[in-house]
Amino acid sequence: MAICQFFLQGRCRFGDRCWNEHPGARGAGGGRQQPQQQPSGNNRRGWNTTSQRYSNVIQPSSFSKSTPWGGSRDQEKPYFSSFDSGASTNRKEGFGLSENPFASLSPDEQKDEKKLLEGIVKDMEVWESSGQWMFSVYSPVKKKPNISGFTDISPEELRLEYHNFLTSNNLQSYLNSVQRLINQWRNRVNELKSLNISTKLSDVKDGVNQAAPAFGFGSSQAATFMSPGFPVNNSSSDNAQNFSFKTNSGFAAASSGSPAGFGSSPAFGAAASTSSGISTSAPAFGFGKPEVTSAASFSFKSPAASSFGSPGFSGLPASLATGPVRAPVAPAFGGGSSVAGFGSPGSHSHTAFSKPSSDTFGNSSISTSLSASSSIIATDNVLFTPRDKLTVEELEQFQSKKFTLGKIPLKPPPLELLNV
Amino acid sequence: MSLFGTTSGFGTSGTSMFGSATTDNHNPMKDIEVTSSPDDSIGCLSFSPPTLPGNFLIAGSWANDVRCWEVQDSGQTIPKAQQMHTGPVLDVCWSDDGSKVFTASCDKTAKMWDLSSNQAIQIAQFWDTRSSNPMMVLQLPERCYCADVIYPMAVVATAERGLIVYQLENQPSEFRRIESPLKHQHRCVAIFKDKQNKPTGFALGSIEGRVAIHYINPPNPAKDNFTFKCHRSNGTNTSAPQDIYAVNGIAFHPVHGTLATVGSDGRFSFWDKDARTKLKTSEQLDQPISACCFNHNGNIFAYASSYDWSKGHEFYNPQKKNYIFLRNAAEELKPRNKK
Repeated sequence: MAICQFFLQGRCRFGDRCWNEHPGARGAGGGRQQPQQQPSGNNRRGWNTTSQRYSNVIQPSSFSKSTPWGGSRDQEKPYFSSFDSGASTNRKEGFGLSENPFASLSPDEQKDEKKLLEGIVKDMEVWESSGQWMFSVYSPVKKKPNISGFTDISPEELRLEYHNFLTSNNLQSYLNSVQRLINQWRNRVNELKSLNISTKLSDVKDGVNQAAPAFGFGSSQAATFMSPGFPVNNSSSDNAQNFSFKTNSGFAAASSGSPAGFGSSPAFGAAASTSSGISTSAPAFGFGKPEVTSAASFSFKSPAASSFGSPGFSGLPASLATGPVRAPVAPAFGGGSSVAGFGSPGSHSHTAFSKPSSDTFGNSSISTSLSASSSIIATDNVLFTPRDKLTVEELEQFQSKKFTLGKIPLKPPPLELLNV
Repeated sequence: MSLFGTTSGFGTSGTSMFGSATTDNHNPMKDIEVTSSPDDSIGCLSFSPPTLPGNFLIAGSWANDVRCWEVQDSGQTIPKAQQMHTGPVLDVCWSDDGSKVFTASCDKTAKMWDLSSNQAIQIAQFWDTRSSNPMMVLQLPERCYCADVIYPMAVVATAERGLIVYQLENQPSEFRRIESPLKHQHRCVAIFKDKQNKPTGFALGSIEGRVAIHYINPPNPAKDNFTFKCHRSNGTNTSAPQDIYAVNGIAFHPVHGTLATVGSDGRFSFWDKDARTKLKTSEQLDQPISACCFNHNGNIFAYASSYDWSKGHEFYNPQKKNYIFLRNAAEELKPRNKK
């Protein structure tokens, strides 16, 4: 490795994170690195130690010969500037990161979050403009859980669906579903793009959960808020064709009946998916009515609503949820419920939020649980259905632990059923 | 004479009858085309292991078939055999002794194809081939998107950015769950070995034109693990929004330890992960490259040019021919000397 010239002069900004060699500092730096490598669930600083791989713009370029990667590093800049500046305060302490991990936490914390938001916004912009595969989960920092509102569908899964529908002569449904997926994705991306500091906490933390469902209802297309997914595991392929989604609502499917592994749509599904123990994104490819207008043109460009995917960020930055593999819904829900103020079968709580149009939700003030609940309560005749207006079946659905496919109520739950 | 029936052979050399058309870009690298390539998108490629003399290539496709060719040193490819599934074949691999091929398909079956007897029997899950019951069932938290095995290590990348490493000695068990180094959906994974030929880490590709190199037990994780961008349209031009393509496959050269990536942009690239440099990028093919594979001694690099559904059904043209190309990989993948 190259010897770091800056270190030799006593002024290396990266300390033990530097990619070049610091003669004589190896042992000291190496030892202190260790604690930082823990799963960064509790240690926000944990990002920074690994952020070096992203903060490559600032690196004194010993990799100058490797231009392609060097070049790419420049482009990394916008994404990861958050880490750079967040970490910069530490860098001044020399090998510092591990020396005072929790020292100036608050101002840094805010700055970091701000940078994180910027990172998210930037990522969204790139995602949209680059033409990359849109049915993918996303996480702004590599160690974090996925942001909700995105579902993971691999190209093969999508293609398999296409083939299945083709053989069953039901191509139109496929097209509709795909269109809806795209719309939902697009909406979600737009929502994330308009994040700013005030909405950030809610959105990224738990509000993300709520924002997600908002689309289900608020979507102007009145599309069924589907949770597309493909019956990969167990056998829901049979069920796939039988889902009937009511047109206006959004309680997308696949929550309870879903085979292990696919909780359904984000917020709602969350409750259901705990049972399957897996993060979101329902498997069943629901195709509601072809009332969605532009069905035929599956262009990866049209706008719309999205949202499914694991309730991501429960509590950024302080408590990074456990690894994405589990993305246990529980923590997200723990978060979710606190914000919503309507705990447990979280699915209920989200409906409450989703009633008002997606716009108000996307941009506004779900900033704290308090404000949220107060705003909700203010308009509660819109958000909740009085008990007497519900049919017996709907009431039963709300009261049960999870929604049954095909019976998900269109109206929001009554206030009394929500645990505050 | 074509063994596979309907498709007509295109000749073994790169200069097929289309070669003269200036607009035709199906083989800009002038690599050897495999005869009788499958009729639909190729999902997976696999070369025979060193225990089998000669080189045999297996390809599984969305036309529900698995085809086997013998690849001779002259570059000639001879179709040898074919097996059918009732659904698209997503992955294939060879047994260590080279006598059997395992194929997995969307029809929810996995089959073991005995090449000598040309019989395929159905198996599934984690198999000890001597018994007819699963030896072990490993529950995954999410859908498996890609996996790789080099004994005694296996890596599985799942949906929702999940990543699990298994150790396969004695009773296979989960070794570690790793937080994904990538921000988007995982697409492909390949294990690499260290100088002592032991698996020591893996490369993980995502849909976002990025590959992460991750060591299992690195001395210095922050420095040793890294990611790099690939399969993007503009190099360093940051002003125009670049097109980002998925990395469809990663393969490590068995001898040099350098890696090849193939992407939806229709290019393949060779990289040296130790020197952290790019060795070569190909010209752009007119179709995405959906799979790639090295043969056992690293002399041949095979890549499949077929539609990977990266742009949805609109761009799917069933009439478009799918190709498998073979390239001499002995020279181009030599590692760059570190300074």
